[in-house]
Amino acid sequence: MTWHVDEQDLRAYARGELAAPMLWSADTHLAACGRCRGVLADVSDPVALDAGWERLDAELDAPRLGVLESLLVRCGVPDHIARLLAATPVLRGSWLGAVVALLVMTVAVANAVPETSTPTLFLALAPLLPLAGVALSYGPALDPTYEMAVVAPMHGFRLLMIRTLAVLATGLGLNGLATLALPGYGLRALAWLLPALALTATGLALTARLGPVLAPSLVGGAWIALLLVAHAERATDSDPLAPFTAAGQGVAAAVAALAVGALLLLRDRFDLFTWSAE
Amino acid sequence: MIPTVSASGLSLRYGGTRALDDVSLRLTPGVTGLLGPNGAGKTTLLRVLATAVPADRGAFTVLGHDPSTSRGRQEVRRALGYLPQSPGFHPDFTAFEFVDYVAILKELTDRTARHREVRRVLEEVDLGDVRGRRIKKLSGGMRQRVALAAALVGDPGFLVLDEPTVGLDPEQRMRFRELIAHAGEGRTVLLSTHQTEDVAMLCHRVLVMAAGTIRFDGTPAELTERAAGRVWSSTERAPGAKAGWRTGTGTFRNVGDPPPGADLLEPTLEDGYLLTLDGAGAEVAA
Repeated sequence: MTWHVDEQDLRAYARGELAAPMLWSADTHLAACGRCRGVLADVSDPVALDAGWERLDAELDAPRLGVLESLLVRCGVPDHIARLLAATPVLRGSWLGAVVALLVMTVAVANAVPETSTPTLFLALAPLLPLAGVALSYGPALDPTYEMAVVAPMHGFRLLMIRTLAVLATGLGLNGLATLALPGYGLRALAWLLPALALTATGLALTARLGPVLAPSLVGGAWIALLLVAHAERATDSDPLAPFTAAGQGVAAAVAALAVGALLLLRDRFDLFTWSAE
Repeated sequence: MIPTVSASGLSLRYGGTRALDDVSLRLTPGVTGLLGPNGAGKTTLLRVLATAVPADRGAFTVLGHDPSTSRGRQEVRRALGYLPQSPGFHPDFTAFEFVDYVAILKELTDRTARHREVRRVLEEVDLGDVRGRRIKKLSGGMRQRVALAAALVGDPGFLVLDEPTVGLDPEQRMRFRELIAHAGEGRTVLLSTHQTEDVAMLCHRVLVMAAGTIRFDGTPAELTERAAGRVWSSTERAPGAKAGWRTGTGTFRNVGDPPPGADLLEPTLEDGYLLTLDGAGAEVAA
Protein backbone atom coordinates (compact mmCIF):
# COMPACT_ATOMS: atom_id res chain seq x y z
CA MET A 1 0.00 0.00 0.00
CA THR A 2 1.39 3.36 -0.99
CA TRP A 3 -1.18 5.38 0.90
CA HIS A 4 -3.67 5.03 3.75
CA VAL A 5 -6.93 6.72 4.61
CA ASP A 6 -6.52 9.66 6.95
CA GLU A 7 -7.73 8.92 10.51
CA GLN A 8 -10.13 11.88 10.46
CA ASP A 9 -11.63 10.54 7.25
CA LEU A 10 -11.93 7.10 8.86
CA ARG A 11 -13.81 8.67 11.79
CA ALA A 12 -16.13 10.41 9.32
CA TYR A 13 -16.49 7.12 7.43
CA ALA A 14 -17.44 5.32 10.64
CA ARG A 15 -20.07 7.97 11.38
CA GLY A 16 -21.42 7.62 7.83
CA GLU A 17 -20.52 11.25 7.17
CA LEU A 18 -17.77 10.81 4.61
CA ALA A 19 -18.90 12.27 1.29
CA ALA A 20 -18.27 11.02 -2.24
CA PRO A 21 -15.80 10.78 -3.95
CA MET A 22 -13.67 10.24 -0.82
CA LEU A 23 -16.29 7.73 0.32
CA TRP A 24 -15.78 5.63 -2.82
CA SER A 25 -12.00 5.76 -2.44
CA ALA A 26 -12.30 4.69 1.19
CA ASP A 27 -14.65 1.84 0.29
CA THR A 28 -12.25 0.50 -2.31
CA HIS A 29 -9.18 1.02 -0.17
CA LEU A 30 -10.65 -0.61 2.93
CA ALA A 31 -11.49 -3.74 0.97
CA ALA A 32 -7.78 -4.26 0.37
CA CYS A 33 -6.01 -2.66 3.35
CA GLY A 34 -5.88 -4.48 6.68
CA ARG A 35 -4.10 -1.62 8.44
CA CYS A 36 -6.86 0.89 7.63
CA ARG A 37 -9.51 -1.64 8.63
CA GLY A 38 -7.74 -1.96 11.98
CA VAL A 39 -7.71 1.81 12.48
CA LEU A 40 -11.34 1.96 11.47
CA ALA A 41 -12.20 -0.68 14.07
CA ASP A 42 -10.43 1.38 16.75
CA VAL A 43 -12.23 4.62 15.94
CA SER A 44 -15.68 3.17 15.31
CA ASP A 45 -18.50 2.21 17.54
CA PRO A 46 -19.68 -1.32 16.74
CA VAL A 47 -23.07 -0.34 15.36
CA ALA A 48 -21.67 2.23 12.98
CA LEU A 49 -18.91 -0.18 11.98
CA ASP A 50 -21.45 -2.88 11.10
CA ALA A 51 -23.33 -0.38 8.97
CA GLY A 52 -20.12 0.56 7.22
CA TRP A 53 -19.24 -3.05 6.48
CA GLU A 54 -22.73 -3.66 5.22
CA ARG A 55 -22.44 -0.72 2.88
CA LEU A 56 -19.07 -1.93 1.69
CA ASP A 57 -20.44 -5.43 1.21
CA ALA A 58 -23.32 -4.03 -0.79
CA GLU A 59 -20.95 -2.07 -3.03
CA LEU A 60 -18.82 -5.14 -3.68
CA ASP A 61 -21.92 -7.23 -4.41
CA ALA A 62 -23.62 -4.70 -6.62
CA PRO A 63 -23.88 -5.94 -10.19
CA ARG A 64 -21.88 -4.19 -12.86
CA LEU A 65 -24.24 -2.17 -14.97
CA GLY A 66 -24.74 -3.00 -18.63
CA VAL A 67 -24.17 -0.47 -21.38
CA LEU A 68 -27.76 0.78 -21.47
CA GLU A 69 -28.07 1.01 -17.69
CA SER A 70 -24.75 2.80 -17.34
CA LEU A 71 -25.77 5.29 -20.01
CA LEU A 72 -29.12 5.94 -18.35
CA VAL A 73 -27.59 6.37 -14.89
CA ARG A 74 -25.00 8.77 -16.31
CA CYS A 75 -27.87 10.75 -17.83
CA GLY A 76 -29.38 11.13 -14.36
CA VAL A 77 -31.99 8.36 -14.50
CA PRO A 78 -32.43 6.77 -11.01
CA ASP A 79 -30.80 3.34 -10.86
CA HIS A 80 -34.07 1.50 -10.23
CA ILE A 81 -35.72 3.09 -13.27
CA ALA A 82 -32.63 2.25 -15.32
CA ARG A 83 -32.96 -1.40 -14.24
CA LEU A 84 -36.62 -1.44 -15.30
CA LEU A 85 -35.68 -0.01 -18.69
CA ALA A 86 -32.84 -2.47 -19.14
CA ALA A 87 -35.48 -5.20 -19.16
CA THR A 88 -37.30 -3.60 -22.09
CA PRO A 89 -36.71 -5.80 -25.17
CA VAL A 90 -36.96 -3.04 -27.76
CA LEU A 91 -34.27 -0.97 -26.06
CA ARG A 92 -31.71 -3.67 -26.73
CA GLY A 93 -29.09 -3.28 -29.43
CA SER A 94 -30.57 -5.80 -31.84
CA TRP A 95 -33.95 -4.08 -31.95
CA LEU A 96 -32.52 -0.62 -32.18
CA GLY A 97 -30.18 -1.81 -34.92
CA ALA A 98 -33.13 -3.06 -36.96
CA VAL A 99 -34.93 0.26 -36.58
CA VAL A 100 -31.84 2.22 -37.58
CA ALA A 101 -31.28 -0.02 -40.61
CA LEU A 102 -34.88 0.48 -41.72
CA LEU A 103 -34.64 4.24 -41.35
CA VAL A 104 -31.32 4.42 -43.20
CA MET A 105 -32.78 2.48 -46.10
CA THR A 106 -35.89 4.66 -46.21
CA VAL A 107 -33.88 7.87 -46.08
CA ALA A 108 -31.55 6.57 -48.76
CA VAL A 109 -34.52 5.84 -51.02
CA ALA A 110 -36.02 9.29 -50.33
CA ASN A 111 -32.75 10.96 -51.27
CA ALA A 112 -31.98 8.74 -54.26
CA VAL A 113 -35.46 8.96 -55.78
CA PRO A 114 -36.84 12.38 -54.84
CA GLU A 115 -40.61 12.21 -54.47
CA THR A 116 -42.59 15.34 -55.24
CA SER A 117 -42.83 17.74 -52.29
CA THR A 118 -42.81 15.24 -49.39
CA PRO A 119 -40.80 12.09 -48.65
CA THR A 120 -43.95 9.97 -48.62
CA LEU A 121 -42.35 6.58 -47.93
CA PHE A 122 -40.44 7.97 -44.95
CA LEU A 123 -43.48 9.80 -43.59
CA ALA A 124 -45.59 6.68 -43.94
CA LEU A 125 -43.08 4.43 -42.17
CA ALA A 126 -41.80 6.70 -39.40
CA PRO A 127 -45.04 6.79 -37.33
CA LEU A 128 -45.18 3.00 -37.34
CA LEU A 129 -41.81 2.58 -35.62
CA PRO A 130 -42.74 4.13 -32.24
CA LEU A 131 -46.09 2.31 -32.39
CA ALA A 132 -44.35 -1.02 -32.90
CA GLY A 133 -41.66 -0.23 -30.33
CA VAL A 134 -44.17 0.57 -27.61
CA ALA A 135 -46.30 -2.46 -28.52
CA LEU A 136 -43.27 -4.72 -28.24
CA SER A 137 -42.11 -3.37 -24.90
CA TYR A 138 -44.99 -4.59 -22.75
CA GLY A 139 -47.32 -7.55 -22.53
CA PRO A 140 -47.13 -11.32 -22.25
CA ALA A 141 -45.89 -11.91 -25.79
CA LEU A 142 -42.49 -10.31 -25.42
CA ASP A 143 -41.97 -9.50 -21.75
CA PRO A 144 -40.96 -12.79 -20.13
CA THR A 145 -41.60 -11.43 -16.65
CA TYR A 146 -45.00 -10.02 -17.54
CA GLU A 147 -46.97 -12.26 -15.17
CA MET A 148 -44.68 -11.46 -12.24
CA ALA A 149 -44.87 -7.76 -13.08
CA VAL A 150 -48.68 -7.74 -13.18
CA VAL A 151 -49.00 -9.01 -9.60
CA ALA A 152 -46.25 -6.75 -8.26
CA PRO A 153 -47.26 -3.74 -6.17
CA MET A 154 -45.92 -1.32 -8.79
CA HIS A 155 -48.95 -0.31 -10.85
CA GLY A 156 -48.91 -1.81 -14.34
CA PHE A 157 -49.72 1.56 -15.88
CA ARG A 158 -46.69 3.14 -14.24
CA LEU A 159 -44.40 0.45 -15.63
CA LEU A 160 -46.05 0.86 -19.02
CA MET A 161 -45.52 4.62 -18.96
CA ILE A 162 -41.87 4.33 -17.87
CA ARG A 163 -41.16 2.01 -20.76
CA THR A 164 -43.36 3.91 -23.21
CA LEU A 165 -41.64 7.20 -22.55
CA ALA A 166 -38.21 5.61 -22.97
CA VAL A 167 -39.17 3.78 -26.16
CA LEU A 168 -41.01 6.80 -27.52
CA ALA A 169 -38.08 9.10 -26.80
CA THR A 170 -35.72 6.65 -28.50
CA GLY A 171 -38.03 6.12 -31.48
CA LEU A 172 -38.74 9.81 -31.96
CA GLY A 173 -35.05 10.58 -31.53
CA LEU A 174 -34.06 8.15 -34.26
CA ASN A 175 -36.82 9.46 -36.51
CA GLY A 176 -35.57 12.98 -35.80
CA LEU A 177 -32.03 12.06 -36.80
CA ALA A 178 -33.39 10.50 -39.98
CA THR A 179 -35.29 13.72 -40.66
CA LEU A 180 -32.05 15.67 -40.48
CA ALA A 181 -30.80 13.49 -43.31
CA LEU A 182 -33.59 14.82 -45.52
CA PRO A 183 -32.72 18.54 -45.60
CA GLY A 184 -34.16 19.08 -49.07
CA TYR A 185 -37.70 18.66 -47.77
CA GLY A 186 -37.45 21.25 -45.00
CA LEU A 187 -40.07 21.08 -42.23
CA ARG A 188 -42.30 18.91 -44.41
CA ALA A 189 -40.05 15.99 -43.45
CA LEU A 190 -41.28 16.41 -39.87
CA ALA A 191 -44.89 15.61 -40.79
CA TRP A 192 -44.47 12.13 -39.24
CA LEU A 193 -44.33 13.47 -35.69
CA LEU A 194 -48.01 14.12 -34.93
CA PRO A 195 -49.19 10.94 -36.68
CA ALA A 196 -46.57 9.02 -34.66
CA LEU A 197 -47.95 10.40 -31.40
CA ALA A 198 -51.54 9.75 -32.53
CA LEU A 199 -50.83 6.18 -33.57
CA THR A 200 -48.88 5.34 -30.41
CA ALA A 201 -51.44 6.87 -28.06
CA THR A 202 -54.34 5.23 -29.92
CA GLY A 203 -52.55 1.88 -29.90
CA LEU A 204 -52.03 2.10 -26.15
CA ALA A 205 -55.60 3.18 -25.45
CA LEU A 206 -56.97 0.30 -27.50
CA THR A 207 -54.52 -2.10 -25.84
CA ALA A 208 -56.51 -1.64 -22.65
CA ARG A 209 -59.51 -3.15 -24.47
CA LEU A 210 -58.07 -5.36 -27.20
CA GLY A 211 -54.71 -6.49 -25.83
CA PRO A 212 -51.12 -5.74 -26.80
CA VAL A 213 -51.13 -7.64 -30.10
CA LEU A 214 -54.49 -6.88 -31.70
CA ALA A 215 -54.62 -3.19 -30.77
CA PRO A 216 -51.36 -2.00 -32.38
CA SER A 217 -51.94 -4.34 -35.32
CA LEU A 218 -55.32 -2.74 -35.97
CA VAL A 219 -53.92 0.76 -35.58
CA GLY A 220 -51.01 0.03 -37.90
CA GLY A 221 -53.34 -1.54 -40.42
CA ALA A 222 -55.70 1.44 -40.22
CA TRP A 223 -52.78 3.81 -40.82
CA ILE A 224 -51.71 1.92 -43.95
CA ALA A 225 -55.31 1.78 -45.19
CA LEU A 226 -55.67 5.52 -44.59
CA LEU A 227 -52.54 6.22 -46.61
CA LEU A 228 -53.75 4.03 -49.47
CA VAL A 229 -57.09 5.84 -49.54
CA ALA A 230 -55.33 9.21 -49.39
CA HIS A 231 -53.06 8.13 -52.22
CA ALA A 232 -56.05 7.17 -54.36
CA GLU A 233 -57.92 10.37 -53.54
CA ARG A 234 -55.24 13.00 -54.12
CA ALA A 235 -55.78 15.24 -57.14
CA THR A 236 -52.26 15.15 -58.58
CA ASP A 237 -49.18 13.09 -57.91
CA SER A 238 -47.34 16.15 -56.64
CA ASP A 239 -49.83 16.79 -53.82
CA PRO A 240 -48.90 15.52 -50.35
CA LEU A 241 -51.06 12.76 -48.89
CA ALA A 242 -53.91 14.08 -46.74
CA PRO A 243 -52.36 13.09 -43.36
CA PHE A 244 -49.31 15.21 -44.20
CA THR A 245 -51.25 18.36 -45.01
CA ALA A 246 -52.00 21.05 -42.41
CA ALA A 247 -55.54 19.72 -41.97
CA GLY A 248 -54.26 16.16 -41.61
CA GLN A 249 -51.78 17.28 -38.98
CA GLY A 250 -54.58 18.96 -37.05
CA VAL A 251 -56.61 15.78 -37.10
CA ALA A 252 -53.57 13.80 -35.90
CA ALA A 253 -53.08 16.20 -32.99
CA ALA A 254 -56.75 15.88 -32.01
CA VAL A 255 -56.64 12.09 -32.21
CA ALA A 256 -53.49 12.04 -30.07
CA ALA A 257 -55.12 14.22 -27.42
CA LEU A 258 -58.29 12.13 -27.33
CA ALA A 259 -56.32 8.89 -27.14
CA VAL A 260 -54.21 10.17 -24.24
CA GLY A 261 -57.43 11.06 -22.41
CA ALA A 262 -58.89 7.61 -23.04
CA LEU A 263 -55.64 5.99 -21.95
CA LEU A 264 -55.73 7.81 -18.62
CA LEU A 265 -59.34 6.78 -18.06
CA LEU A 266 -58.50 3.14 -18.77
CA ARG A 267 -55.22 3.02 -16.84
CA ASP A 268 -56.45 0.53 -14.22
CA ARG A 269 -56.90 -2.07 -16.94
CA PHE A 270 -53.12 -2.30 -17.27
CA ASP A 271 -52.99 -3.53 -13.68
CA LEU A 272 -54.64 -6.85 -14.53
CA PHE A 273 -53.82 -9.90 -16.60
CA THR A 274 -57.02 -9.58 -18.57
CA TRP A 275 -56.40 -10.16 -22.23
CA SER A 276 -54.76 -13.57 -22.59
CA ALA A 277 -55.39 -15.45 -19.41
CA GLU A 278 -55.61 -19.16 -20.08
CA MET B 1 -57.01 -19.64 13.63
CA ILE B 2 -57.54 -16.47 11.57
CA PRO B 3 -57.20 -17.41 7.90
CA THR B 4 -54.63 -15.67 5.73
CA VAL B 5 -56.88 -16.12 2.72
CA SER B 6 -60.64 -16.34 2.86
CA ALA B 7 -62.58 -16.83 -0.38
CA SER B 8 -66.22 -17.48 -1.07
CA GLY B 9 -68.11 -18.25 -4.27
CA LEU B 10 -65.28 -17.50 -6.70
CA SER B 11 -66.43 -18.10 -10.27
CA LEU B 12 -64.85 -17.27 -13.59
CA ARG B 13 -65.71 -18.10 -17.20
CA TYR B 14 -63.33 -17.95 -20.16
CA GLY B 15 -65.41 -17.92 -23.31
CA GLY B 16 -67.70 -20.90 -22.89
CA THR B 17 -65.57 -22.62 -20.29
CA ARG B 18 -66.32 -22.43 -16.59
CA ALA B 19 -62.77 -22.24 -15.23
CA LEU B 20 -63.85 -21.64 -11.63
CA ASP B 21 -67.25 -22.61 -10.30
CA ASP B 22 -68.27 -21.37 -6.87
CA VAL B 23 -64.94 -21.99 -5.16
CA SER B 24 -64.76 -21.26 -1.45
CA LEU B 25 -61.73 -21.85 0.75
CA ARG B 26 -59.80 -20.67 3.76
CA LEU B 27 -56.02 -20.87 3.90
CA THR B 28 -54.02 -20.80 7.13
CA PRO B 29 -50.25 -20.69 7.76
CA GLY B 30 -48.36 -23.72 6.50
CA VAL B 31 -48.18 -25.36 3.10
CA THR B 32 -51.50 -26.22 1.43
CA GLY B 33 -51.29 -28.44 -1.64
CA LEU B 34 -53.55 -27.95 -4.66
CA LEU B 35 -53.89 -31.12 -6.72
CA GLY B 36 -55.83 -31.64 -9.92
CA PRO B 37 -55.54 -32.76 -13.52
CA ASN B 38 -54.73 -30.42 -16.40
CA GLY B 39 -57.62 -28.06 -17.01
CA ALA B 40 -58.99 -28.46 -13.50
CA GLY B 41 -58.70 -24.72 -12.85
CA LYS B 42 -55.67 -24.75 -10.57
CA THR B 43 -53.73 -22.05 -12.41
CA THR B 44 -56.86 -19.95 -12.78
CA LEU B 45 -57.52 -20.15 -9.04
CA LEU B 46 -53.92 -19.18 -8.29
CA ARG B 47 -54.11 -16.24 -10.71
CA VAL B 48 -57.31 -15.03 -9.13
CA LEU B 49 -55.87 -15.27 -5.61
CA ALA B 50 -52.68 -13.57 -6.83
CA THR B 51 -54.87 -10.68 -8.14
CA ALA B 52 -53.68 -11.20 -11.71
CA VAL B 53 -57.18 -12.03 -12.94
CA PRO B 54 -60.42 -10.78 -11.40
CA ALA B 55 -63.18 -13.31 -10.71
CA ASP B 56 -66.58 -12.82 -12.37
CA ARG B 57 -68.35 -13.53 -9.08
CA GLY B 58 -67.41 -14.10 -5.48
CA ALA B 59 -64.97 -12.36 -3.17
CA PHE B 60 -61.83 -13.00 -1.22
CA THR B 61 -59.46 -11.33 1.19
CA VAL B 62 -55.75 -11.78 1.82
CA LEU B 63 -54.56 -10.82 5.29
CA GLY B 64 -57.73 -8.79 5.63
CA HIS B 65 -57.25 -6.82 2.40
CA ASP B 66 -59.99 -6.85 -0.23
CA PRO B 67 -58.49 -6.81 -3.74
CA SER B 68 -61.69 -5.63 -5.41
CA THR B 69 -60.48 -2.03 -5.02
CA SER B 70 -57.31 -0.60 -6.50
CA ARG B 71 -55.94 0.24 -3.06
CA GLY B 72 -56.85 -3.16 -1.61
CA ARG B 73 -55.31 -4.91 -4.60
CA GLN B 74 -52.04 -3.08 -4.02
CA GLU B 75 -52.06 -4.08 -0.34
CA VAL B 76 -52.63 -7.72 -1.29
CA ARG B 77 -49.76 -7.55 -3.74
CA ARG B 78 -47.48 -6.15 -1.06
CA ALA B 79 -48.21 -9.25 1.00
CA LEU B 80 -47.86 -11.64 -1.95
CA GLY B 81 -45.07 -13.76 -3.38
CA TYR B 82 -45.94 -15.37 -6.71
CA LEU B 83 -44.08 -18.00 -8.67
CA PRO B 84 -45.96 -18.54 -11.95
CA GLN B 85 -46.17 -21.84 -13.78
CA SER B 86 -43.58 -20.85 -16.37
CA PRO B 87 -41.55 -18.09 -14.80
CA GLY B 88 -39.92 -15.96 -17.45
CA PHE B 89 -36.48 -14.43 -17.12
CA HIS B 90 -34.51 -11.81 -18.90
CA PRO B 91 -31.76 -14.21 -19.95
CA ASP B 92 -29.02 -11.61 -20.05
CA PHE B 93 -29.60 -10.68 -16.43
CA THR B 94 -27.57 -12.32 -13.70
CA ALA B 95 -29.45 -13.99 -10.85
CA PHE B 96 -28.77 -10.92 -8.71
CA GLU B 97 -29.94 -8.51 -11.42
CA PHE B 98 -33.13 -10.46 -12.04
CA VAL B 99 -34.11 -10.61 -8.37
CA ASP B 100 -33.12 -6.96 -8.09
CA TYR B 101 -35.49 -6.20 -10.98
CA VAL B 102 -38.36 -7.98 -9.24
CA ALA B 103 -37.49 -6.18 -5.99
CA ILE B 104 -37.91 -2.86 -7.80
CA LEU B 105 -41.32 -3.99 -9.03
CA LYS B 106 -42.05 -4.70 -5.36
CA GLU B 107 -41.36 -1.05 -4.59
CA LEU B 108 -37.92 -1.49 -2.99
CA THR B 109 -36.36 1.59 -4.52
CA ASP B 110 -33.65 2.32 -1.94
CA ARG B 111 -30.57 0.76 -3.49
CA THR B 112 -28.79 -0.31 -0.31
CA ALA B 113 -31.86 -1.83 1.33
CA ARG B 114 -32.87 -3.50 -1.92
CA HIS B 115 -29.48 -5.09 -2.50
CA ARG B 116 -29.46 -6.30 1.11
CA GLU B 117 -32.84 -7.97 0.52
CA VAL B 118 -31.69 -9.49 -2.78
CA ARG B 119 -28.66 -11.00 -1.07
CA ARG B 120 -30.87 -12.34 1.72
CA VAL B 121 -33.32 -14.15 -0.54
CA LEU B 122 -30.58 -15.53 -2.79
CA GLU B 123 -28.85 -16.91 0.31
CA GLU B 124 -32.19 -18.32 1.47
CA VAL B 125 -32.49 -20.40 -1.71
CA ASP B 126 -28.80 -21.29 -1.54
CA LEU B 127 -27.78 -19.33 -4.62
CA GLY B 128 -25.51 -16.82 -2.92
CA ASP B 129 -22.46 -18.24 -4.66
CA VAL B 130 -23.86 -17.95 -8.18
CA ARG B 131 -25.62 -14.62 -7.84
CA GLY B 132 -23.32 -13.07 -10.46
CA ARG B 133 -23.91 -15.79 -13.04
CA ARG B 134 -26.14 -15.09 -16.03
CA ILE B 135 -29.50 -16.82 -15.81
CA LYS B 136 -29.10 -18.42 -19.24
CA LYS B 137 -26.10 -20.31 -17.85
CA LEU B 138 -27.96 -21.70 -14.82
CA SER B 139 -29.56 -25.16 -14.68
CA GLY B 140 -33.34 -25.56 -14.68
CA GLY B 141 -33.35 -26.23 -10.94
CA MET B 142 -31.28 -23.14 -10.25
CA ARG B 143 -33.59 -21.02 -12.39
CA GLN B 144 -36.56 -22.23 -10.40
CA ARG B 145 -34.72 -21.25 -7.23
CA VAL B 146 -34.03 -17.80 -8.70
CA ALA B 147 -37.77 -17.48 -9.36
CA LEU B 148 -38.51 -18.61 -5.81
CA ALA B 149 -36.02 -16.05 -4.49
CA ALA B 150 -37.84 -13.37 -6.48
CA ALA B 151 -41.14 -14.52 -4.95
CA LEU B 152 -39.63 -14.31 -1.46
CA VAL B 153 -38.50 -10.70 -1.84
CA GLY B 154 -40.14 -8.57 0.83
CA ASP B 155 -40.90 -11.57 3.08
CA PRO B 156 -44.48 -12.02 1.83
CA GLY B 157 -47.10 -13.46 4.16
CA PHE B 158 -48.84 -15.33 1.32
CA LEU B 159 -46.80 -17.34 -1.15
CA VAL B 160 -48.38 -18.75 -4.32
CA LEU B 161 -46.37 -21.44 -6.15
CA ASP B 162 -47.70 -22.80 -9.44
CA GLU B 163 -46.20 -26.22 -10.18
CA PRO B 164 -42.68 -25.27 -9.15
CA THR B 165 -41.30 -28.82 -9.28
CA VAL B 166 -42.27 -29.57 -12.90
CA GLY B 167 -39.28 -30.49 -15.02
CA LEU B 168 -36.89 -30.92 -12.12
CA ASP B 169 -34.90 -34.11 -11.66
CA PRO B 170 -35.42 -36.06 -8.41
CA GLU B 171 -32.48 -34.44 -6.62
CA GLN B 172 -33.53 -30.93 -7.65
CA ARG B 173 -37.10 -31.72 -6.68
CA MET B 174 -36.02 -32.83 -3.22
CA ARG B 175 -33.89 -29.70 -2.82
CA PHE B 176 -36.83 -27.56 -3.89
CA ARG B 177 -39.12 -29.30 -1.42
CA GLU B 178 -36.73 -28.39 1.36
CA LEU B 179 -36.92 -24.77 0.30
CA ILE B 180 -40.72 -24.82 0.13
CA ALA B 181 -40.92 -26.42 3.56
CA HIS B 182 -38.63 -23.71 4.91
CA ALA B 183 -40.66 -21.00 3.16
CA GLY B 184 -43.83 -22.40 4.73
CA GLU B 185 -42.58 -21.80 8.27
CA GLY B 186 -44.60 -18.88 9.57
CA ARG B 187 -46.30 -18.01 6.30
CA THR B 188 -49.14 -19.32 4.18
CA VAL B 189 -48.09 -21.19 1.04
CA LEU B 190 -50.48 -22.42 -1.65
CA LEU B 191 -48.65 -25.01 -3.76
CA SER B 192 -50.18 -26.21 -7.02
CA THR B 193 -48.68 -29.48 -8.16
CA HIS B 194 -49.22 -32.65 -10.16
CA GLN B 195 -46.95 -34.56 -7.80
CA THR B 196 -48.77 -36.31 -4.97
CA GLU B 197 -45.33 -36.87 -3.39
CA ASP B 198 -45.00 -33.08 -3.05
CA VAL B 199 -48.22 -33.01 -1.08
CA ALA B 200 -47.38 -36.07 1.00
CA MET B 201 -44.01 -34.62 2.00
CA LEU B 202 -44.84 -30.95 2.41
CA CYS B 203 -48.47 -30.17 3.06
CA HIS B 204 -50.56 -30.00 6.20
CA ARG B 205 -53.62 -29.71 4.03
CA VAL B 206 -54.66 -30.58 0.50
CA LEU B 207 -57.30 -29.33 -1.92
CA VAL B 208 -58.29 -31.40 -4.95
CA MET B 209 -59.76 -29.53 -7.90
CA ALA B 210 -61.57 -30.87 -10.94
CA ALA B 211 -63.66 -29.03 -13.53
CA GLY B 212 -63.31 -25.73 -11.72
CA THR B 213 -64.58 -26.94 -8.36
CA ILE B 214 -63.00 -28.07 -5.11
CA ARG B 215 -63.66 -31.81 -4.80
CA PHE B 216 -61.75 -32.40 -1.60
CA ASP B 217 -60.53 -30.23 1.26
CA GLY B 218 -58.77 -31.92 4.15
CA THR B 219 -55.52 -33.34 5.40
CA PRO B 220 -53.30 -35.63 3.30
CA ALA B 221 -54.13 -38.44 5.74
CA GLU B 222 -57.86 -37.91 5.14
CA LEU B 223 -57.33 -38.01 1.37
CA THR B 224 -55.35 -41.24 1.73
CA GLU B 225 -58.10 -42.64 3.96
CA ARG B 226 -60.56 -42.28 1.06
CA ALA B 227 -58.82 -45.23 -0.56
CA ALA B 228 -58.85 -47.45 2.50
CA GLY B 229 -60.22 -50.85 1.53
CA ARG B 230 -60.24 -49.89 -2.15
CA VAL B 231 -56.74 -50.87 -3.20
CA TRP B 232 -55.89 -54.49 -3.85
CA SER B 233 -53.43 -56.68 -5.66
CA SER B 234 -54.15 -59.38 -8.19
CA THR B 235 -52.25 -61.58 -10.58
CA GLU B 236 -54.30 -60.34 -13.53
CA ARG B 237 -55.60 -56.88 -14.27
CA ALA B 238 -58.93 -56.54 -12.46
CA PRO B 239 -61.68 -55.66 -14.97
CA GLY B 240 -63.70 -53.57 -12.51
CA ALA B 241 -60.83 -51.42 -11.32
CA LYS B 242 -60.88 -47.64 -11.84
CA ALA B 243 -57.15 -47.86 -12.40
CA GLY B 244 -54.71 -50.73 -12.40
CA TRP B 245 -51.10 -51.27 -13.35
CA ARG B 246 -48.50 -54.00 -13.21
CA THR B 247 -45.95 -53.37 -10.50
CA GLY B 248 -42.30 -54.30 -10.41
CA THR B 249 -43.13 -57.55 -8.63
CA GLY B 250 -45.31 -58.69 -11.52
CA THR B 251 -48.63 -58.36 -9.67
CA PHE B 252 -51.27 -55.77 -10.47
CA ARG B 253 -52.09 -52.91 -8.13
CA ASN B 254 -55.78 -52.04 -8.55
CA VAL B 255 -57.75 -49.04 -7.32
CA GLY B 256 -61.53 -49.08 -7.19
CA ASP B 257 -64.18 -51.34 -5.71
CA PRO B 258 -62.47 -54.64 -4.89
CA PRO B 259 -64.07 -58.05 -5.44
CA PRO B 260 -64.92 -60.12 -2.35
CA GLY B 261 -61.87 -61.69 -0.74
CA ALA B 262 -59.43 -59.40 -2.55
CA ASP B 263 -55.90 -59.04 -1.20
CA LEU B 264 -56.14 -55.48 0.14
CA LEU B 265 -53.12 -53.17 0.12
CA GLU B 266 -52.16 -50.13 2.17
CA PRO B 267 -53.51 -47.07 0.27
CA THR B 268 -51.38 -44.10 -0.68
CA LEU B 269 -52.22 -40.44 -1.17
CA GLU B 270 -52.21 -41.03 -4.92
CA ASP B 271 -54.86 -43.74 -4.56
CA GLY B 272 -57.07 -41.35 -2.63
CA TYR B 273 -56.48 -38.67 -5.23
CA LEU B 274 -57.38 -40.99 -8.12
CA LEU B 275 -60.58 -42.07 -6.42
CA THR B 276 -61.49 -38.46 -5.68
CA LEU B 277 -61.08 -37.57 -9.34
CA ASP B 278 -63.16 -40.55 -10.40
CA GLY B 279 -66.66 -39.33 -10.98
CA ALA B 280 -65.44 -35.77 -11.38
CA GLY B 281 -65.31 -36.16 -15.10
CA ALA B 282 -61.53 -36.38 -15.11
CA GLU B 283 -59.48 -39.08 -16.72
CA VAL B 284 -57.92 -41.65 -14.46
CA ALA B 285 -54.77 -43.07 -15.98
CA ALA B 286 -54.87 -46.83 -16.23
